Amino acid sequence: MKNSPIRILARILFRELGLAFLLLLGVSFVVFAILYAAPGDPFSMLLEGQMPTDESREVIRAAMGNATSWYGQYFSWLSNVLSGNFGTSIRTGLPVAGELFKVSLNTLYLTLGSMLVTLLVAVPIALYSSARGHLVMISWPLTMFGYLISAVPVFWLGYIAIYISIHSFDFFPLMSFEQSSHGNQWLAMLVPVLVLGLGSGSISEVIRNLREEMSRVMAEDYVRTARAKGASVWMHAFKEGFLLPVTEIIAAKIPFLLGGAVIVEQVFNWPGMGRMAWQAAQDRDFPVIMGIALVAAAFVRAGSLLQRIICIAVNPQLTRT
Amino acid sequence: MKKYSQTTVAIGDFSSLPFWQKYSTVDLIYVAYGLLIVVLVLASYVAGMFDLLPHDPQQINMDMLMAPPATEGYWLGTDFMGRDIYSRLIMGIQAYFLPGLLAISISLAGGVLLGVLSGYVRGKLSTVITYFTNLIDSFPRLVLILLVVAAFKPDIYYIMMVMGITGIPAVATAIANKILFLSQKNFIEAAIALGLRTRVIILKHILWYNCRALLIIQATLGMGEAILLETSLSYLGFGVQEPAPSWGNMVQSGANYFLQGNFWPSTAPALAILFTILGFNLLGDGLNNILEDRRSR
Amino acid sequence: MKQLSVILVLASSLWCSVHGVSYAADIRKDDRPNGGVLNYGEYGRPATLDPITSNEMISMRISELIFNGLVGINERQDVVPELASSWETSKDGRVYTFHLRKDVTWHAKPGETALPFTANDVVFTYNIMMNPKTITPLKVRFEFIDKVEKIDEFTVRFTLKRPVLNALAKFSFKIIPKHGPKNPLYLTRDDPFVQHPIGTGPYMLSNVTSDREIVLVANDKYFKGRPHIDEFVAKPFADQNILTQALTFNAIDMIVLVNPRSIAEIQGDKRFILQPYNALSYSFFGYNLRNPLLADKRVRLAFGYAINRQEMLGSFFNNQGTIISGPFAPGSWAYNLDVKPLPYDPKKAIALLTEAGFKPGPDGVMQKDGKKLELTLSVPIEKESEAVKRVVLAFQNYLKNIGVTVKVEFKEWQSWKEEVFGEHHFDIVFASWVFDDSADISSLFHSAEIGPWKNNFGAYSNPEVDSLIVQSKLTLDHEKRRTINRKLHALLAEEAPYTFLWTLTHYSAYHKKIQHVAIHPYKFFSYADEWYIPVKAQKK
Repeated sequence: MKNSPIRILARILFRELGLAFLLLLGVSFVVFAILYAAPGDPFSMLLEGQMPTDESREVIRAAMGNATSWYGQYFSWLSNVLSGNFGTSIRTGLPVAGELFKVSLNTLYLTLGSMLVTLLVAVPIALYSSARGHLVMISWPLTMFGYLISAVPVFWLGYIAIYISIHSFDFFPLMSFEQSSHGNQWLAMLVPVLVLGLGSGSISEVIRNLREEMSRVMAEDYVRTARAKGASVWMHAFKEGFLLPVTEIIAAKIPFLLGGAVIVEQVFNWPGMGRMAWQAAQDRDFPVIMGIALVAAAFVRAGSLLQRIICIAVNPQLTRT
Repeated sequence: MKKYSQTTVAIGDFSSLPFWQKYSTVDLIYVAYGLLIVVLVLASYVAGMFDLLPHDPQQINMDMLMAPPATEGYWLGTDFMGRDIYSRLIMGIQAYFLPGLLAISISLAGGVLLGVLSGYVRGKLSTVITYFTNLIDSFPRLVLILLVVAAFKPDIYYIMMVMGITGIPAVATAIANKILFLSQKNFIEAAIALGLRTRVIILKHILWYNCRALLIIQATLGMGEAILLETSLSYLGFGVQEPAPSWGNMVQSGANYFLQGNFWPSTAPALAILFTILGFNLLGDGLNNILEDRRSR
Repeated sequence: MKQLSVILVLASSLWCSVHGVSYAADIRKDDRPNGGVLNYGEYGRPATLDPITSNEMISMRISELIFNGLVGINERQDVVPELASSWETSKDGRVYTFHLRKDVTWHAKPGETALPFTANDVVFTYNIMMNPKTITPLKVRFEFIDKVEKIDEFTVRFTLKRPVLNALAKFSFKIIPKHGPKNPLYLTRDDPFVQHPIGTGPYMLSNVTSDREIVLVANDKYFKGRPHIDEFVAKPFADQNILTQALTFNAIDMIVLVNPRSIAEIQGDKRFILQPYNALSYSFFGYNLRNPLLADKRVRLAFGYAINRQEMLGSFFNNQGTIISGPFAPGSWAYNLDVKPLPYDPKKAIALLTEAGFKPGPDGVMQKDGKKLELTLSVPIEKESEAVKRVVLAFQNYLKNIGVTVKVEFKEWQSWKEEVFGEHHFDIVFASWVFDDSADISSLFHSAEIGPWKNNFGAYSNPEVDSLIVQSKLTLDHEKRRTINRKLHALLAEEAPYTFLWTLTHYSAYHKKIQHVAIHPYKFFSYADEWYIPVKAQKK
């Protein structure tokens, strides 16, 4: 049976989407289990400012119409989500889906931007250090720099960036502030992106992964052959030694950057998902936490789906696996 | 992801050279620096255990809040409660040492187990394991930890347990890839053909000969990650709690004064974090190269 | 900082019980300029914007701008007319009849004309508030009301279950429109009204940005006259250090509550004004008397002598506060100035412990019958709660000096409340009570209030205190009540169920371009309609 490339692609897409669905289900279940096992009450937050006596808790539970058994709670949530209803936040009463859409876009900008920064810094360093010979003298200080900047606590790096912006460049790097409406909002947005890209500890990992991959590919027989023939090594090493690892790293770094976004969003007042997650975790705001977990996992899955597609596009042999 | 060092199949033979020629100078410097950091960390740990500190790290001095470095008796200055920063830096290692080791052991043990199972046994089991590792990888780690500590309690062992579990996929995938690579090179078939027992193949030939560098890298990286993670959580208020010192809560409490122009109280612990993590990273790199018998990069 | 609130309100206008008919306020006429925008920074985001479901200060401050009560409290703490132009009280003090203003309209919903404010809205608000399905901290405050009736379109009558001292001030609760909430019976947080409220107040909600910045615009038809400043914008911050920087960089014009560590920085800056306001709260160390070690009064008193309040107040709070000796806020009529705070006297503390039978053990820790004096201090975790950390660590240190071991345990807020109030599983807590107006402390120390989720969490029980509290509650005569409370104060200071620390002066910081700023102690924006920005300063 001959398969057209499109059909193969469709089949793979279908499989990956199915897997993604199962994973999202798993993620939601794990988060639910943690929330359910936790002591305390998701509605305690509503009783702030009064004594949460047993009677008042009963009243709330009755008012919120909550199923009591754990599977009842989970399945009612699940069936609501499947029909497109993510529920409303316990804290604000706002629909979770709409709020999440707004903040997750902001987080997406932040994450993608910082990914770019990470790659812009890390890839040249990795290329330098995977090259051999006299370049070693340049490569190791660069590597050292990459490692050092990755080890800086990210919120502290944020404070440094803010301090420098205020005192040396006379602008306040917080999104949505007034001077930013006068055309240099991008500048205000750039600083958090830079901080997350440089400071989340991802640079050192990208350098290390990429360097290993490059060295491995350079040692492969076909590259050696190419080198011996005097052909451009880079062209041959590019696909497998560069493109694949980079996409793989991008996909794998998404959850990491989403985590870093929690911190950066707090420091820079960035209206994103991380800030929402922090607040919701403290309030035990069940629908919001579940929603955030799903969206975050969806970002991660989307990243790896993209990576799979690029992978297959570059190396069609992989479709067989 | 993270298929480090699949180059075990020897490239060149340097084994006859004395070791200072056998390995590149850079690698040796890396390892030396890394070992220095490890020794310092161990020494600090012991010093903290037996109270061999210039000051009691908990001793409050209300007349000396936020003293600058090189103050009489406090050569690294004091923090917002007038406590000696130097003593607290040394004591701060206690917050990471055992919990960090716990996290590393969980990721390595879980990762090796799952990696071998999925790489060596394969089949249905491998699908389940892939699902499991993908599942863990789908969580932003910090958000998961935040959820657990906010829901249960902010305890460094809880944090490190979650960190250990979320570290499993990286190790498992690396090991599985390694085994895949080895079997592609017919290494495993050869071993089986030689009549070696499965246990010997897995423990000795796969894990010891071919995966030790990878495991060492993962372990050294794990320590650095543990420190950075605790620091981030400290900023959110859920790290190691006062009065116990940790580098993370020291950076956090010091950073409250950073934007007012008082840099030192946060810079001191931040530098400690910086150079320690650098040490672990370089140690991992250097050892990897040496164990893999690669000369240079 | 997170605070516990005592819900029992005792209006600070207190003794001058306003009987009979009162006067109507004039529409404001002054020559202050209109215009300008005031951006103010808040630490955290408001949950809901209506006055009923909201239960935190940020929301409460915003609803102060949007809504009005039947009566208001002016800067001299007197009850003044607001939505009610006048009122009558029956002789037995059980019936309150309010005559409403006829010139008040609700903010117009988009695309609709503004509806007038009537007695229906008052009845509606009360019913919504008391409906069991409405979750609101206000409910317990109004249980003294028996019923409310509409007499005619502009007259309502409240009948009380029993006469209550200073009931009038309690009618300052905010009125919401009958046509506001979707659900006519009760209000929950998923009602659109809680995020898009309409009121009668000086400012109308314009929009909420994606960052949950709340934009409020001046209500041209405000019945007291248009407020001067065109726009109020509440900007939420997630980091207090950044909040202070935003002010000094002029990105915002006002901080509602300045972090103690930033006071010195702002003080030195000529562009800003630091305005103190009394927050009607005080901090204390509370003891769990269920622990036999702490059941001895001498031990608790020893702790009081062992700590140096003045040093803490000076080092951690720039001396911005008043040390107290008893359970009332200083400045309150009930506070007994004759009772002096315990001085710092570690020798006396050790003497008291010795008297109680404790002797220093081989390790320097005080012990009695082989039992060491070791206690756990539970503290709720807050991000950036440096002040709290400092106080509890200093406390630990002071007690170490008299041979008492204190273990500090930080707990997440909800589980802290669970342990302290639900399970009573603690030895010492550091906390503060915040009072709505002035204070009624009866629930804190009466033995009937011992039990899960009651205010007397330390299980303090003393028949003499009980009887004084009951007497104080029963009397309607202010002078008598004052004498009783002064006695109570002296007794509680001596008995030391708490170690009373201080009330802190809260500071608001704002750019000096904002003029005529008066601040209400905890509602904050009560007088914001009179603030103004000079024309020259209106442009950035």
